[in-house]
Amino acid sequence: MRKQIAIVEDEAALRENYSAALARHGYQVKTYANRKGAMQAFEVHLPDLAIIDISLEDEAEGGFDLCRDLRALSAELPIIFLTARDSELDAVSGLRLGADDFLTKDVSLPHLAARVAALFRRIDALRRPDNAAQIVRRGALSIDGEKMQTAWNGVPVMLSLTEFWIVHALARNPGHVKNRQQLMDAANVVLDDNTITSHVKRVRRKFQQIDAAFDAIQTVYGMGYRWVE
Amino acid sequence: MSIRFQLLVIALTTLVLPWAGCQYARELESTLRVSQENSLQAAADTIANALSAQSQRVFGDIGDGPPFDPTQGDLYVFPLHNQPLLDGYREDWDLAMEPRTMPADGLGARLQAGFTERYLFVYVEVDDPEFDPEPSDVHPQQDRFDRVDLTLQRPDGALESYFFATSAPGLIQAQSMVKSDDGVDHAASEPRIQAFWLQTAHGYHLEARVPRSLAGSRLWMEASDGASGGKAGFMGADSLRGGRLFLATPGLNELLATFIGPGTRATVIDTNALKLGFAGSLTLNNDEEPRGAGGSWYRRFMAGDTSHWPLQVLAADHLEGKSVRGALAGHASAEWLRANPSQASLLSAAAPIMVGDQTRGAVVLEQPGDQLLELRDRALTHLFNLTLLATALAGAIAFGVATWISLRIGRLRLAADAAVTTDGKIRLDMPESDHADEIGGLARGFERLLARLNEHTQYLRTLGGKLSHELRTPLTIVRSSLDNLESEGVRADQRGYVTRAREGVLRLQSILSALGAASRVEESIKQTERVNFDLNDLLHSAVAGYRDAFRAARIELDTPSDACFMHGAPDLIVQMLDKLIENAVDFCSASGAITVRLTRAESNYELAVSNDGPPIPLEMLSRLFESLFEHRQGVDDKPHFGLGLYIVRLIAEFHGGRAVAANRSDGGGALFTVFLPLI
Repeated sequence: MRKQIAIVEDEAALRENYSAALARHGYQVKTYANRKGAMQAFEVHLPDLAIIDISLEDEAEGGFDLCRDLRALSAELPIIFLTARDSELDAVSGLRLGADDFLTKDVSLPHLAARVAALFRRIDALRRPDNAAQIVRRGALSIDGEKMQTAWNGVPVMLSLTEFWIVHALARNPGHVKNRQQLMDAANVVLDDNTITSHVKRVRRKFQQIDAAFDAIQTVYGMGYRWVE
Repeated sequence: MSIRFQLLVIALTTLVLPWAGCQYARELESTLRVSQENSLQAAADTIANALSAQSQRVFGDIGDGPPFDPTQGDLYVFPLHNQPLLDGYREDWDLAMEPRTMPADGLGARLQAGFTERYLFVYVEVDDPEFDPEPSDVHPQQDRFDRVDLTLQRPDGALESYFFATSAPGLIQAQSMVKSDDGVDHAASEPRIQAFWLQTAHGYHLEARVPRSLAGSRLWMEASDGASGGKAGFMGADSLRGGRLFLATPGLNELLATFIGPGTRATVIDTNALKLGFAGSLTLNNDEEPRGAGGSWYRRFMAGDTSHWPLQVLAADHLEGKSVRGALAGHASAEWLRANPSQASLLSAAAPIMVGDQTRGAVVLEQPGDQLLELRDRALTHLFNLTLLATALAGAIAFGVATWISLRIGRLRLAADAAVTTDGKIRLDMPESDHADEIGGLARGFERLLARLNEHTQYLRTLGGKLSHELRTPLTIVRSSLDNLESEGVRADQRGYVTRAREGVLRLQSILSALGAASRVEESIKQTERVNFDLNDLLHSAVAGYRDAFRAARIELDTPSDACFMHGAPDLIVQMLDKLIENAVDFCSASGAITVRLTRAESNYELAVSNDGPPIPLEMLSRLFESLFEHRQGVDDKPHFGLGLYIVRLIAEFHGGRAVAANRSDGGGALFTVFLPLI
């Protein structure tokens, strides 16, 4: 069965472009221009994944509301924010509302497709029984590459897809400095340095919520970051 | 020219008031003079007419002789008010005139005559210090002694000769030579003619008294020195020339006094200008207080120039001057004189006294010119004082107001100068804006202007972020379309276009990203947490990274040996350092040397990044840290928006520090210094 993706985007040209690209990858794509239309459809039938813009027609924060409503309908539905807004605040609020990823529109279509594929893979992996071979352990950290899940001292850390890939790239080779470009490549995103910095910051904070003494991600000023055990 | 000075100059124009007052005063003065001249002239005419009707009483029996000629021995006989003592001194004659010198022949002598009702007085002063006494048995033709000869024409026309001589000075009598019965001449005393011989160090004085009954209309005197035989005087008796006596007319003074009022002097003269009589006095009241120095100063300033007026001639026996000459020539005339010696103005009006069609003499009226002007002077002096006071007051007020205004304008100017700070911030409040006047209006205008400027600046500041935001969607449409196009398959001959379109999109994207960078930094700064960290450690780590990243440049690091802790955001500090290093790399020479130096000063750290590139023009230095200010001489392919140093400034200010740019003192490049506070 083909996965169904809903795109809620008020810019028709973009909507069509995303739709065409994802359709090419074998997904069934439904597009909506505003929150109302999308919500009406979702209440009848939930898609397998939703890509939402934050500002929708005359609702500047319509995407956030839609995300909240959608999360109420389903706790597992993967949601990706795809927006022209790149402020830290927007990213934080989007992720806090339960989105799985927060992408700016700088992302290329192949990257977008890669993410969508990764999210579906995670869903699938979650449904399958545990596969210990895929689990990487680094001290207190355990990474499930298949399910794209992270745990610290056995407690799951809720990371967005981008954040997961950053942690994954760092923890795979502890002690090696990864510069920002390498982290961007690993996360399949084009971001500026500043955004990488705030991603790393957010990751640290999420680990610190579990373990206040967490300091495994070290900043190497002028170069990048490294994982220390 | 400052406002203060301008207003002062304007205030000085009130000085035109006293000037106009002076002009008015001068006109008034000349008008008053003319009217005084006319009225005095009219009075002189009236008196002259009245006197011509009584010409007998005025001129007596003076006939038409040849003109008065003192060199021929003609003698003006002064009227004497008191009977003088016969004592050899003429001081009690009370005359303002010195005796007249007689023609000399080896002897100096002077002569003066006066009369009272009964006597004729003759005074002779001889310069003969050697007294040669008269011998007891005198024989005037043979004996040599000091003597004074007197020849009288008696009223009946007969001539009578006397001489004065003495064996001892003192009261003497005239002597005459009489033939005695024996036919021998001898000297006989004439007791009716008395004299006093006074011997002095310089010579002798002879004061003689002759009864009017003995004296007719002529008289000759001659002094001779017994020792030397020198003579002085007139021996005109032989030819009956000269020696005429000119006497003032008795009773004329009293007559004249009836014609004139106070403050006027009237003099009647004969055709020789000799005084026949006079009355009146020039001073109104003698207790008039003298004018102060200030008054005379004003007077000099206001009054017309009188220095060209002739000086009054003081002579006790006659009058002189243009008006006198005019009147004696038959026509009335007046003239202004300067009194001698007071220099006060004096008006003299003369009118001829005509008998028949013949000029027999003249009446001369004199009046001080200042009297009528005195009142005017006082008023004008008052006016002058008041206008000067007003001018001073106006000047002081103008100066004060101007000072106040220029102070306020100066304050406003200083505030306007400082309204836009070097780091681009705008202060919106202006001094003086709460005043209701034009300067307050100007200040409010400034405030409105600054507010608008501030809005505009804010708009410009956020323009980059807005632009990048608004352009991102269409750019995404282009890029995603390109993605789709490539995925659908592009013919080999079309691939070049797609590649070029993609390159263009990438460039646009980096431009937008740079444009939005400042607002992203501003935003991320707001949410940054601060920690304590070692700046020294951070620098070592970061510079190692830069050496790796920019292999062409030589980056030197110079820091204190111990840890340098500060409170802040290390990520931001690194970001700031990134911008400084990038900037330095862009500008430094090919084999560029960049020095990063950290020094600890009293209250802050100084983080200095210097390069060896070209110096920065002075006018650029203060603007380098502004948003979207770009100064780059080189051409390269990377887009530059002048945001790097703006971000440096934002981060420095976030830490409570500041960033400054300067040229290195050795001229070898630029130096950017960030001051960061110590913990």
